[in-house]
Amino acid sequence: MVRDDADDESIAAVSRTLYRQGMTDGLPVIPPTEERVEEMLRGTDTPDDAVIGRLGNDDNPITVAGLASNAVMAGCLPTHMPVLEAGVRALADPDSNSIQFSVSTGGWAYQWIVNGPVRGDVGIAGGTGAYGPNYRANRAIARALGIAYRNTAKIHPGEKDMGVMGNPFKFSLLLGEHEEASPWEPYHVTAGYDEGDSTISLSGPNSFVQWEPAAAEAEAVLRGMLANTPPAMVSGEQQGGDFDQTITYVLCPASIDLLADAGLSKRDVKRYVADNSAIPVDEFQKGVLWEGALEGYHGRVENAQVPQIRGPEYVRVVAGGGRTGRCDAVIGPSIGGPVTEPIDYPDGWSALVAEYGPTE
Amino acid sequence: MGLVTPSSTGNDTDQKPLTPRVDSLDGTHIGLYDNGKPAAEPLLTAVQEMLAERYPDATFEWYHVEHLNQIKNDEEQAAVTEWAEDVDVAIGAIGDCGSCTKFLTWGIEFIEDAGTPGVGLIDEGFELDYQSNAVERGRPLRYKKTPVRCETTDLERVRDEVTDDVLDGIIDELTRPLNDKERADPVAQ
Repeated sequence: MVRDDADDESIAAVSRTLYRQGMTDGLPVIPPTEERVEEMLRGTDTPDDAVIGRLGNDDNPITVAGLASNAVMAGCLPTHMPVLEAGVRALADPDSNSIQFSVSTGGWAYQWIVNGPVRGDVGIAGGTGAYGPNYRANRAIARALGIAYRNTAKIHPGEKDMGVMGNPFKFSLLLGEHEEASPWEPYHVTAGYDEGDSTISLSGPNSFVQWEPAAAEAEAVLRGMLANTPPAMVSGEQQGGDFDQTITYVLCPASIDLLADAGLSKRDVKRYVADNSAIPVDEFQKGVLWEGALEGYHGRVENAQVPQIRGPEYVRVVAGGGRTGRCDAVIGPSIGGPVTEPIDYPDGWSALVAEYGPTE
Repeated sequence: MGLVTPSSTGNDTDQKPLTPRVDSLDGTHIGLYDNGKPAAEPLLTAVQEMLAERYPDATFEWYHVEHLNQIKNDEEQAAVTEWAEDVDVAIGAIGDCGSCTKFLTWGIEFIEDAGTPGVGLIDEGFELDYQSNAVERGRPLRYKKTPVRCETTDLERVRDEVTDDVLDGIIDELTRPLNDKERADPVAQ
């Protein structure tokens, strides 16, 4: 029996209807009623019908109201809207390459990194368990941006979303950088923004690996980064030269302390992993790589080495996780971005934050 | 229900007609459009060999996209259309992954924009993907499923897989008269 939910506005009925129409991620959604969308729009000064960006194969427009509808469905608060608007601008930036990594057979994820005061305003976590199923803002914002892309570009598994395996991180890979736990400049400052700015950054990786360094020593942290970066995580200039392929290391506060105490800067760490990333040519996995990556290596010397990471400019380092032990992670390779967008606040932001608060 | 739709209203893309097909490939100048995927060149090579045998008076001209992403660039798109204006029909390959199937429809679209009948060759797992991308771009572009699998670069294997039946299908897509849907005047999607 197929239920007729035409006049039923319950969560169960609306979730079922929108799921049948391919507009959800399969989990229950909050019905995007006019009243709820109107409340969501308190989080922006941009007119409801303004087009934030164009996404997908046909450059379909996404309006502020359309984004707000997806935000309601995903469980967002009005205070999340400034982050979401900036996230859509990142998705619409051709340099993000979202048009490719959203649909590719490689099954890539939307990787979001949020920096600046907005993290505290809306409760975006960067400490213990930040990547886990724990924090409303992290989960809801990533989910909203994911289904907003799906519903705007109209991609569905087997129809314009051809990821062979799919990716469990696709709509959930969002971190507020743990800036307070790092003596190094934050991610967005490296990208050219002021420390007091709030930003969201996007890239498109397909894998996540984490490990515990073998010892509480700086050298062990560095060796752990090299040893746990699988051959599939190759970084450099992509074939064709349009995009860089990058990898992101997320280092916990304890590891950053060890590296910083050893006198290493973030740039030093990037250079170390690039300079020491040589692997046997037979283990090199091409991925989607720069033209002629192996020219000059094949057949020249048996067991010749090639760089897995072409240079420090293809490496990103982010502070993440809590002071609850020692564990680092690598995410990549990304075939899009990173692109970073500033987050702008509406008038009355402080009052809205006070009303909704980071723990609402 | 009083819900605000989470879906885009789209661009109201006009559905444009396909370019009329040719009567026969005999004596035609045939374009071979390589979209930059590894399997494209061996597949089109095998197709060219069989077409040359069947149509000794046919001539061939290739277009190579260096990397599939580059079809996103305006200059590359214009170059494809300009190239397609000088051939009588064009065969494009290959749709064997998510982004390359999308970008293959872009290439075939630019070929049709030039007034040249085109057909895209795809891995059979990408039929719905090709159809959906094509209609979204504005035409019910024609295609032919092939048994050539993703990233296959072994020319000998490809030669075995491109049978007479496959070739017959490719020729049919380039010569079979348009149906009513394919001929239709532009309408809002």
